Amino acid sequence: MQPCSREMQALNSLLNQQDLQNGQQQISNTHQIHQSHFDPTSSHDDFLDQMLSSLPPSSWPDLPFASNPIGSLAAGHKLQDLSDQFDDQSQSALLVSKLRQHQISGGGAVAGNSPAAAKAFLLQQQLLLSRGLSAGGLRSPTGAGDSGILQMPLSLGTGEGFDGSQNNVVDGSSFKSPNLGGEGSVEALYNGFSGSLHGTGQASSQAQHFHHPQVQNFGAPATAMNQAPPASGSAEGGAPSQPRQRVRARRGQATDPHSIAERLRRERIAERMKALQELVPNANKTDKASMLDEIIDYVKFLQLQVKVLSMSRLGGAAAVAPLVADMSSEGSGDCLQGNGGRSCNAAQTASSSNDTMTVTEHQVAKLMEEDMGSAMQYLQGKGLCLMPISLATAISTATCHSRNTIATNPLLGSNGEGGPSSPSMSVLTVQSATMGNGSGDASVKDATSVSKP
Amino acid sequence: MMTSRQHLTTNPSSIKTRFAYLFLRNLKRLNKYRPTSSSSRAVYQRYGMIKFAADASMASAVGSRRAWSRATLLKIRNRALNCTFLKRRRIHALRRRRAERKSRNPRQECAFGQANELRRLVPGGEVMDICNLLDETAHYIKCLNTQVQVMRNIVDFYSS
Repeated sequence: MQPCSREMQALNSLLNQQDLQNGQQQISNTHQIHQSHFDPTSSHDDFLDQMLSSLPPSSWPDLPFASNPIGSLAAGHKLQDLSDQFDDQSQSALLVSKLRQHQISGGGAVAGNSPAAAKAFLLQQQLLLSRGLSAGGLRSPTGAGDSGILQMPLSLGTGEGFDGSQNNVVDGSSFKSPNLGGEGSVEALYNGFSGSLHGTGQASSQAQHFHHPQVQNFGAPATAMNQAPPASGSAEGGAPSQPRQRVRARRGQATDPHSIAERLRRERIAERMKALQELVPNANKTDKASMLDEIIDYVKFLQLQVKVLSMSRLGGAAAVAPLVADMSSEGSGDCLQGNGGRSCNAAQTASSSNDTMTVTEHQVAKLMEEDMGSAMQYLQGKGLCLMPISLATAISTATCHSRNTIATNPLLGSNGEGGPSSPSMSVLTVQSATMGNGSGDASVKDATSVSKP
Repeated sequence: MMTSRQHLTTNPSSIKTRFAYLFLRNLKRLNKYRPTSSSSRAVYQRYGMIKFAADASMASAVGSRRAWSRATLLKIRNRALNCTFLKRRRIHALRRRRAERKSRNPRQECAFGQANELRRLVPGGEVMDICNLLDETAHYIKCLNTQVQVMRNIVDFYSS
C-alpha cells in the first residue's frame, strides 16, 4: 500500500478537518440518487460486497473526520445512506484507499514512468482537492463515510454495473478499479454533484476519457480515477486482488512492478530460446524443456566432434583404448567399446554424399592393399570406422527407428575387422541420418563402414 | 529480434579466420614435439594437447567479449599457474563444491531444470543466471560450429 500511503499523506497535508454536518447532508442526498442506480445492477452490489469483504479489518488509522469533503457537492445525500450502509466508516475509507491504490498503481504502471505518473496523479489530486473543497478539504479517506471519496467506489461500481461495454471504449481499458459507467448512466449520477462542484478548468481538462467534466470536480479520487485510465492504459488482466475488476487491461500487462520485471525476464528468455532454436538443428520443438534437451545434446555433440577431430589429427592408427573409454564416458550413451589395440575411432561427423563415399571406399581399399595402418589413418581422418556388417545393420536399423539424439551418434565400432586377415569384413555402407534436417553438414550423421571380404 | 541480430553481427567469419590462424599456429608448435613413441598413452596425451590447443585458440579467437571465453581463458591461465597436482585437486574440489552450492540455489524456474546440465557444458556457466546462460550458449554453439568446420577442413586438407 505504499503508493496509497503516500497519497494519504499528501491528502492529509492538504485537508483540513472540518465539521461533517454539511457533508453528511450532501452525502445522504447523493446517496439517495445513487441508490436508484443500485437496484438494477446486482453486479454492482456484488462488487460492493466484494469490495467490502476484501477490505482489511482496519489498516488505516482513524483520522478525524474532516469537514464535508464534498461540501461542494450538492448531492451529498447519496452518500449519507451509503455511510449508513457501511458498518464502519473506516471500511469505506479502506475501500476508497484500495481503489485509489489500484488506480495509482495502474497509472503508475502504465505511464511508463511510474514515479512521475504517481506524482502527477498526486498533484492533480491535490489541486482538485484544494479547489473543490470550499469548506476545507476532503476528509482524509480514512474518515469514513466521506462523501466525495466514497462517491468513487459507488459511482464506479454503478458505472461498471451499467455498461461494461461502453466502459471498454471509454476507458481505453486501463482501469483497474471499476470503471465509471458510460455516459448516460453516469451522467445521472453525477449531475447531482455537478451543481455544487464546479469543475475547475483543470478538472474539466483532465476529464479525457470521462465525458463528464463535472465528475472531476467532485473529488480528487474521481478525477484521479479518470486520470488513471487515460494515463495508465493498462492493468493486470484479471487482477486477483480486485475480484470484480473488469479486465480492461491490455493483455499481459501488469501494474505491479514485480510482475513487470517478471514479464520482462520471461520475454528475454523466450527471445534467447528462439535464437537458440535457429542455431540448433532439429529445432521443431515448441516445448521449452525439450528444446533445452536438444540444445544440451547438440552442445555435447559439438564438443565430442571437436574431441574426435583433434584425435584424428594424431593420425595414429594406434589403439586407443583409453581414448575409446574416454569417449564412451563422455556421454555418448550408446557407444560400443572398441577393441583395444585396434583403432576404430568413431566420429559420425562425416557428411558425405554418395560420390564421396565411393571415392572414399576406393581410397581405403587402395590403402588397405599397401598398409592397414595408413588405411586406418585415412579413415580416422575422415571420421569413419570399420565395423562388422552385422553390427552396422543393427545400428542403422536402430537409429533409423528411434529418435536419435546427437549424443548417441558417435559409435565406437568394435573391430574385429581391422586386419586383412579378418574374414568378417565386407563392403557395406550404412547411412543413418539421425538429424531431422539432414543438412549437409555435421548435423548429418552417417555411419560408414568399409570392409573387404 | 535484437539478440539474434546481435549474434549475427558478431561476425563469425572473422572468428573463423582468427581461430584458424591461432589453431594452426598452435598445432605447428605442438608438432615440434612429435611423440617418438606411439604408445597409447603418448597418443592420448597428444590428443589431449591438441584438443586443449583447439579450445584455447577458440577462446583466444573470441577474446574476452564473451563470458564463456573469459572463463576458458581464466581456466587455462590458472592451469598454467597452478600446475601442481595437489593444487589441481584442490581446485577441482573447490569447483565441484561451488558448483554444487550454486546448483542448489533455485536460481532458475522449474522449466529450466536442465539448466544445471547446460551450466556444466558451457564453460563459465555456473555463475550465470538463466538469461545470460542462454545467451552464452548460443554464442558458444556458434563458435563450436566454426571450430568443427575449421578442424575438419584442416583434416581434409592434410589427409587428402
